[in-house]
Amino acid sequence: MPYTLWFDKAGKEALALVGGKNASLGELIRAGIPVPPGFSVTTDAYLEFITGSLKDRIEEILSKIDQQDVVSLDEASATIRQLMAKTPFPTKMEEEIGSNYQALSQVFDTPDLPVAVRSSATAEDLPGASFAGQQDTFLWVQGIDEVLENIKHCMSSLFTPRAISYRIKMGFPHEKVLISVGVQKIADARAAGVMFTLNPLNGDPSKVVIEGNWGLGETVVAGLCNPDKFVVDKVTTVVEREISLKGVECVFDPRSRKVVHADIPPDRREIQCIEDQEILELARYAKKIEEYYGCPQDIEWAIDKQKPFPFNIFMVQSRPETVWSQKRKEPVLGKKSVYELLMEKALSTVKIEP
Amino acid sequence: MAEKKGFPMPLEVEYPKELQGWEEMYPPTYLFSKERQEWEEKHFWFHDKIHAPEAMYPLDLIFQEAWQISLSQYTTRVFCIPPAQGIAQRMVGCYMYITPVAPPPPEIIGEKAGLFQKRVFYVFDHYDELWGMWLKKFRALGEEMEAIKVPEDFPKFESDDTVFPEPRGYYTSFEVMEAWDKLVNLMIKGWQFHFQYLNLAYLAYLLFTDTCRKLFPGASESTIGKLVAGAYVQMFRPEEELCRLARLAAAVPEIAKLLKSDLPAEKKLETLRKTAEGNDWLVEFEKSKDPWFYVSCGSGWFHYEGSWTTKLEIPFGYLKSYVERVERGEKIERDLPAIDKERAQLAEEYRKLIKTDEDRKAFDDTYKAVRTIYKYAEDHLFWVEHWFHTIWFDKVREFGRLLVKRGILKDVNDIYLFNRFEVPNLMEDMATTWALGEGVPSGAKYWQAKAEKRKKILEAAKKWNPIPAIGTPPEEIAEPFTIMLWGITTDKVNEWLKGSAVAPADVTELKGFASSAGIIEGKVRVVKLLEEITKVEQGDILVCPTTNPAWAPIFTKIKASITDIGGLTSHAAIVCREYGIPSVTGTGIATTVLKTGDTVKVDGNTGIVKILKRA
Repeated sequence: MPYTLWFDKAGKEALALVGGKNASLGELIRAGIPVPPGFSVTTDAYLEFITGSLKDRIEEILSKIDQQDVVSLDEASATIRQLMAKTPFPTKMEEEIGSNYQALSQVFDTPDLPVAVRSSATAEDLPGASFAGQQDTFLWVQGIDEVLENIKHCMSSLFTPRAISYRIKMGFPHEKVLISVGVQKIADARAAGVMFTLNPLNGDPSKVVIEGNWGLGETVVAGLCNPDKFVVDKVTTVVEREISLKGVECVFDPRSRKVVHADIPPDRREIQCIEDQEILELARYAKKIEEYYGCPQDIEWAIDKQKPFPFNIFMVQSRPETVWSQKRKEPVLGKKSVYELLMEKALSTVKIEP
Repeated sequence: MAEKKGFPMPLEVEYPKELQGWEEMYPPTYLFSKERQEWEEKHFWFHDKIHAPEAMYPLDLIFQEAWQISLSQYTTRVFCIPPAQGIAQRMVGCYMYITPVAPPPPEIIGEKAGLFQKRVFYVFDHYDELWGMWLKKFRALGEEMEAIKVPEDFPKFESDDTVFPEPRGYYTSFEVMEAWDKLVNLMIKGWQFHFQYLNLAYLAYLLFTDTCRKLFPGASESTIGKLVAGAYVQMFRPEEELCRLARLAAAVPEIAKLLKSDLPAEKKLETLRKTAEGNDWLVEFEKSKDPWFYVSCGSGWFHYEGSWTTKLEIPFGYLKSYVERVERGEKIERDLPAIDKERAQLAEEYRKLIKTDEDRKAFDDTYKAVRTIYKYAEDHLFWVEHWFHTIWFDKVREFGRLLVKRGILKDVNDIYLFNRFEVPNLMEDMATTWALGEGVPSGAKYWQAKAEKRKKILEAAKKWNPIPAIGTPPEEIAEPFTIMLWGITTDKVNEWLKGSAVAPADVTELKGFASSAGIIEGKVRVVKLLEEITKVEQGDILVCPTTNPAWAPIFTKIKASITDIGGLTSHAAIVCREYGIPSVTGTGIATTVLKTGDTVKVDGNTGIVKILKRA
């Protein structure tokens, strides 16, 4: 019954313990991909936290919800989440999380190392993304107290109004849905974003499509900006690029100690946010990750501000791409022989629109 | 609609008055006419910048006449590409316009489909042996042309051996006329062979492009070109032969020294003939020369381009630099196995990205088909446009010399001012005048006046910027050449519409085939004739009408190339991909629009050349 597991110790076999996101980080590490280090707070820890009177109170509140009444749903959610926030973790659990966090801080020789705290659900691949709760991410969390608070906050995201109502609607028992939380060194990103191991616009499997912006990746993930876009051919490594006018970046503000949206200064707005060598290195990792998983992936990446190339490139997330992967299981060319294809071509014409 | 967009109707085209009289230079069927007005107005005619970018000398039109028939008949009557018809030509103010003929009625398409299937699949299955037969047949044809005897002059009296023991019965007058007719017929026949498999090769290329685009929607033109292009194609043989001769020369210090000197080519040959080693080398030189130095210095389409055999300074110039490079220990040969291996690897890596067995099989099969038959598109080019045309130009020059000698024309090249139906009149006049005896005037004054007038018209035509298109844009095109060579798409038509109003100096961007990937900025060097190639400096961006093996050695010096003519598998495209330098081919207007010293950005990924700064 471990409360925590380091990422590199838990891959897909530990999915039930660490959830999809954390397990995939474990897999990436095993594939030799650079991933910022960290650990999972397991579903066992969650189960142990939600026991006894806390469990009873939650069940009681849930049982009183009037499905038709939105206000009652909101109130129930708020009450449960406050209750969880107020309830301390069992001492042993708190100690184990604390010592892991300290160990992580020591590796980087930084007291109160800034980390990202993210929920990692076990039922992520079930239909309906809201099933397990909101995919909460807290950035730039520093100090053990903040870490513990945000872990709890991630756990309680299982009880957002949407998550609760979805489970009720689907007839899925609340107690069957578990959650793990990842605590990961934050990639202090100069630029970050997402990439696909195929072209999401047309399904072209010979391309890696990279989208990036200055700062942390959230602006790209949430679609808050027009990112720079790079289409890299997997074979020839030829890069096609679209450099966008980038207005907003997501950065850590040391004064407010918060991650904020900041205007990008004019001199950086139209500058390509990642260098050519970084583009090629990212594409190389994309290919490697796709090969490791054996199916197309949707990957989040970050370029560290401090480290020199190529040690500045990190993957922070990878999940299977679903839209085109499904389509591509069927032959694109429709099982035709070369003669049938030739006949088809010979009969074709090119339309010219006057 | 067409008027609104700015393309005039065929009979409404206006010419500068200096062009007056241009019509008489070309066969009457080449003119837009009232009699065919309805049909002509239904079609969309565009200036063929690929094959006839310049004002057309009447006799050089023979190749165009020949391809109009040959290309079209293979599509319509031989291999029967179902919805496609031929490509028709017209002359407008000394420039050639072409149109893909509208598709035939549905019942014809159905009939053709059956024939297509039977005949084309047969060719695809038997291509390798068929190529061997083609080459044998074609070389025999070229040898027949080479064997045509053109008398150096008409004799004062026919010799005794044409009289004894039996008077021959026909004499120089007939021989000259017969020789000319034979020369023309062989040229037309050669062009019948030219398209024997070419339409099919292009169709296979289009098929493979389609397959790639379905599997990899973003596959670039240059990648597809690189997958298809062969390393072992005959167009590279001239360069390979030069390398061979350079190595032989480098092994003999005196020969190496001679070839490195700045003496004229003729002087070098003369010196070589004086020593045993020199003669040994010359034996090898002669072996290479026929057929491999029968390469045009241009596209092979125009008499003024010349060839390595008529401009010996060019191969000897290359030999000089090759010998120097060999002595510096550099490798001068293209590494063919490596190029072939690289291509095979490229194909294998794309293949691995295919997800299903069925698709992999379709990819393999279409790839095999195109790799088999596309060789034809690469190989025929050397044999027809270069070897065969070089023989033609040599022979025509002999006739030209004879006409000058007999006082009919003033200059050897004036023969090109008369079309192939007119030249027999000149021949007949020359023969008749000789036959009539002493003191009889020929039509020389008439011909020479015509020649003078035509020279002026052509000079004026060269200064004229012909309109890009005439008539109504079509709704659809099926003719594989139109699609592949001219890249006719909505974009292209719009481009013409846009471009038609812009003067060359105001153009800011050129579009062509994205032939070799990469982006680079730099200064351009415009080289219209191969003789100017010595001016190219290290790191220039080469801008030229077209390139071929005669240009090959320059590619180690330049950092990008832009051509007027040529597709994805043109010589410039293939060589640039090998050297990893960007190339945009088939822009149509690069040598008109760009001036040496202009700064441009060449984007070989998109086929766009941006003019950044005018010199």
